[in-house]
Amino acid sequence: MARMKFLCDIERCIDCKGCVIACKEGNGVPVGINRRRVITINQGKPGEKSISIACMHCSDAPCIAVCPVNAIYQRDDGIVLVNKDVCIGCGYCFMACPFGVPQFPKGDTFGKRGVMDKCTFCAGGPAPNFSEKERRLYGQNRIAEGKVPLCAAMCSTKALLAGDGDKIARIFQERVARRGSGAAAPGWSTAYK
Amino acid sequence: MKPKFRAVGMQAAVALFLLTAGSFVAYAEMLLRKFGSISTVQAFKEFGVISPQWHKYAGEFIAFTHKIGSWYLPVLVGVPLLFLLHYLVIGPKSFSHKGQPIPFYGAFTRFLHWAVAILFSTVVVTGLMVLYAKALGGGSLILTARTLHLLCGYGFAVVAIPLFLIWLKDMLPAPYDIKWLFMAGGYLSKDVKEVPAGKFNLGQKMWFWLAFAGGAVMVYTGYYISSLSLQPEILTGYLKIHLILGLFIVALFITHLYMSLFAIKGSLSSMISGYKWEDEVRVLHSRMLKKS
Repeated sequence: MARMKFLCDIERCIDCKGCVIACKEGNGVPVGINRRRVITINQGKPGEKSISIACMHCSDAPCIAVCPVNAIYQRDDGIVLVNKDVCIGCGYCFMACPFGVPQFPKGDTFGKRGVMDKCTFCAGGPAPNFSEKERRLYGQNRIAEGKVPLCAAMCSTKALLAGDGDKIARIFQERVARRGSGAAAPGWSTAYK
Repeated sequence: MKPKFRAVGMQAAVALFLLTAGSFVAYAEMLLRKFGSISTVQAFKEFGVISPQWHKYAGEFIAFTHKIGSWYLPVLVGVPLLFLLHYLVIGPKSFSHKGQPIPFYGAFTRFLHWAVAILFSTVVVTGLMVLYAKALGGGSLILTARTLHLLCGYGFAVVAIPLFLIWLKDMLPAPYDIKWLFMAGGYLSKDVKEVPAGKFNLGQKMWFWLAFAGGAVMVYTGYYISSLSLQPEILTGYLKIHLILGLFIVALFITHLYMSLFAIKGSLSSMISGYKWEDEVRVLHSRMLKKS
């Protein structure tokens, strides 16, 4: 079976944050939470690079290992999902995740936390496919519709690749081979000579 | 001007032009190269997507979360069993409650004690519910327990301060506490012997310091665990402190319940009425009467 993965091509990412907005709007993500974020280094200086990061849907995910109620689980295609009916919002997954992915909406009582929210690879959640509950708790289920996640679908430079790990690895390899690096990157001969 | 001199001037001008233009070109070339100067690998390091400390603390933390539940079980089962054994073999201490009633706890102290008692008990019970969330099915029940845990924890932090100050003087360690420790407070024999203790004995003092000083640590670490406002490597450390210290607090909490509800008859009513009877105080708090 295909193993779903994300890959962000940092030679293409232009820090437009379209992926963040698309995800947030399209999935009805709670206030104060971004399932995806863009990190930029050397902003405005030579060597500026950006990367878009969300849940990496790890193999042997640490969040699954520490979850005290087994609310987090992994599908056969590698997508890691959380069951919001079972999650107790303890925050162990946040402490175990190397990417700082799990987020918790602030409740109204003394800043108490709600249940964990994270990227679903646009695969909804444990609720029945396309149900009202699934849309409300987890957002869209584009995987069940046969589409790629919103962030990758709207990426204007196609820096963000999502899908079968083997296929996106091949696309990335072809890109690297074609453009080389540095001054051999696409557009350089037109723009700078 | 001689033709020869003009030719030298031309040569100098051309050389100067080549030098200036050449350095501009070289500078432009350098600027252009800079844009491609960061390698992908170097960029990934600079993004800091993965916390550099993660490899050090994560494995240990995962192992800890798997073990901690089984550390609490012996305390939750073993300590009550031990006290059951004590109750059956040695039995509770009871006094005739004759003689003069001695004022022991003022009205304000009693009010504070019961306020703290309710908050503290709720914190202990809800804390254990969160720890054993899997057995309880998780979900909204545990979310409610966590909210109560937070509210009562903060409430405890406020109400405990005046009670701490009221009792602090009598809770300071005294030389005769060592003697109390060697005879285990007289709890291991059926004989009614005078026990060296002032207003509070060493057992009560231990509970006092664990509940209040330990409670302060619990509130401090608990605040950060609930707000998640620190680096994960510090948060995992705080969580370990919170859960291991909690283990000792739960053990003494059960002890306090056993002592006040079962082991010493009339102990509970003294915290309600505020009085202890003279015969009981002469035995269990002998130094208190000698002082006055």
